[in-house]
Amino acid sequence: MRKRVALVGVGMQKYASRRPDTVEEMVYDVAKKALLDAKLPPQAIDAVVFGSAVDAFCGIHNSDKLIVEASAGLCKPTIRNSTSGSTAVSTPILAYTHVASGLFNVVMVICYEKMSENPAPQMVFNTVYDEAFVRQIGLNVPIQCGLEARAYLHRYGITELQMAKVSVKNHTNALFNPYAQLGMNITVEDVLNAPYISWPVKRLDTSPTTDGARALIFASEDVVRDITDDPIWVKGIGRGADSCWFMGRRNNDLGRLDYAYLAAKQAYEMAGIRNPAEEIDVAEVYDPFTFKEMQHCEALGLCPEGGAGWMIDEGISLKDGKLPVNPSGGLLGEGNPIGAGMSRLSWAYLQVRGDAGDCQVPKDVNTAVANAWGGMYQYNAVMVIGRD
Amino acid sequence: MEKKPVIISGEINIPYKWSAGLAGSRFFEELCDNKRIMGTKCSKCGRVMIPPRIFCEECFVDTDEWVEVSSRGKLVTFGDCYLSTDGKKLDKPWMLGIIRLDGADGGLVHYIGEAKPDELKIGMRMEAVFKEKREGNILDIMYFRPVDR
Repeated sequence: MRKRVALVGVGMQKYASRRPDTVEEMVYDVAKKALLDAKLPPQAIDAVVFGSAVDAFCGIHNSDKLIVEASAGLCKPTIRNSTSGSTAVSTPILAYTHVASGLFNVVMVICYEKMSENPAPQMVFNTVYDEAFVRQIGLNVPIQCGLEARAYLHRYGITELQMAKVSVKNHTNALFNPYAQLGMNITVEDVLNAPYISWPVKRLDTSPTTDGARALIFASEDVVRDITDDPIWVKGIGRGADSCWFMGRRNNDLGRLDYAYLAAKQAYEMAGIRNPAEEIDVAEVYDPFTFKEMQHCEALGLCPEGGAGWMIDEGISLKDGKLPVNPSGGLLGEGNPIGAGMSRLSWAYLQVRGDAGDCQVPKDVNTAVANAWGGMYQYNAVMVIGRD
Repeated sequence: MEKKPVIISGEINIPYKWSAGLAGSRFFEELCDNKRIMGTKCSKCGRVMIPPRIFCEECFVDTDEWVEVSSRGKLVTFGDCYLSTDGKKLDKPWMLGIIRLDGADGGLVHYIGEAKPDELKIGMRMEAVFKEKREGNILDIMYFRPVDR
């Protein structure tokens, strides 16, 4: 019989294009803050789960070994997880399963990425492609997102203007996020007039490269009442993985993220959610590009399939809308340290607690969803959290 | 946070020799020697895989049959970019597309040539243009170009 698992603490820090501290120092900062937030001593942590997407950013392979001490993990079981960008939610899922198994009562999860140690992160991204069939062609992140965005717009009739509205929403929301790197007062004209990266994606449709870390603490139902009177439970988890060869798989129309629909279905079934658009109060959605937020809103059932343009046109996903999406500013506004995109789940947790400060949405929040995406248009991981 | 850290500079240069694999080697040999695009066929579900695999990922069985597929196909999506992969700004964009090949259930991601971005449409017919001097890699196809414009 699996244990119920609650979130009991979070450690946040400023996201920046270049932080002066080391990976170890970044991790110590968020681990300490998460323990303070949960009012737990480091001895209370039974095991630590790390997540980071690409070691070549920080230039030290197997970088998890650097942060055993800094995570309250000294002489304890530690493990590191990596599923490209979806590390950001698959890692807290791994922490969840540690506790749900009954083997551990209190588990710290830390996601980190230090992208600035390499002055050309795009060169690192260029090394993630299959050598025989893809990399020699020169696929890179800009054109990779262009291939997918064009297919998405073509399939559903989404417009560049609707993408621009998502950019304005998230960059503006980030102005109220004290940890954000790229809060900006911008207009749709600014977005539409920005230079193209690869049609239809323009510079302001993209997220920046970022240094940063996040920590969360998960606790078993057996001990949670000793830690908090207001446990926020993990309600559902889901993951989906499609073939690495995006050009060869059955659904090679990149417009529809079959694997993300699959992950969402698992998470909602486990959470007992039938109509996410009505039952989810706030969403923190993986948005490395504007159109990715839109695709994910659809896959997560926050709007009908193909309806993400309508959703932003109607203002549903605005901070004061019916179903706010990324009131923190998302990866677009807060920064995008790949694996440390666990910030989406961290903000979802703060929203449910009512502790999101100036990012708090003006409505009751009991249930929230966060997701992450990665690989060759390939992975999705979803977590639903909430009060009983 | 304001204080600038001491910087330790360095570089990591590591050479590699990648195996094209069991399926990939046959694919590149055929491409090089015979200008043929070959896929593997799953005897269970009948899918023809491009790129070829030694197994069908859906049926999870070995694929022991090789079949030739067309060098023509359909443009699934495409992208243009004014930044080269090594980060240089370009005057004319370079273009990539995903081409689903006739006779295959998959396709290739490759360059698009002899066309401008505004001449391309999702769903249009494309054909491979082969290099004269081939070396046994994916660049033995020079690019795909639109057919019958």
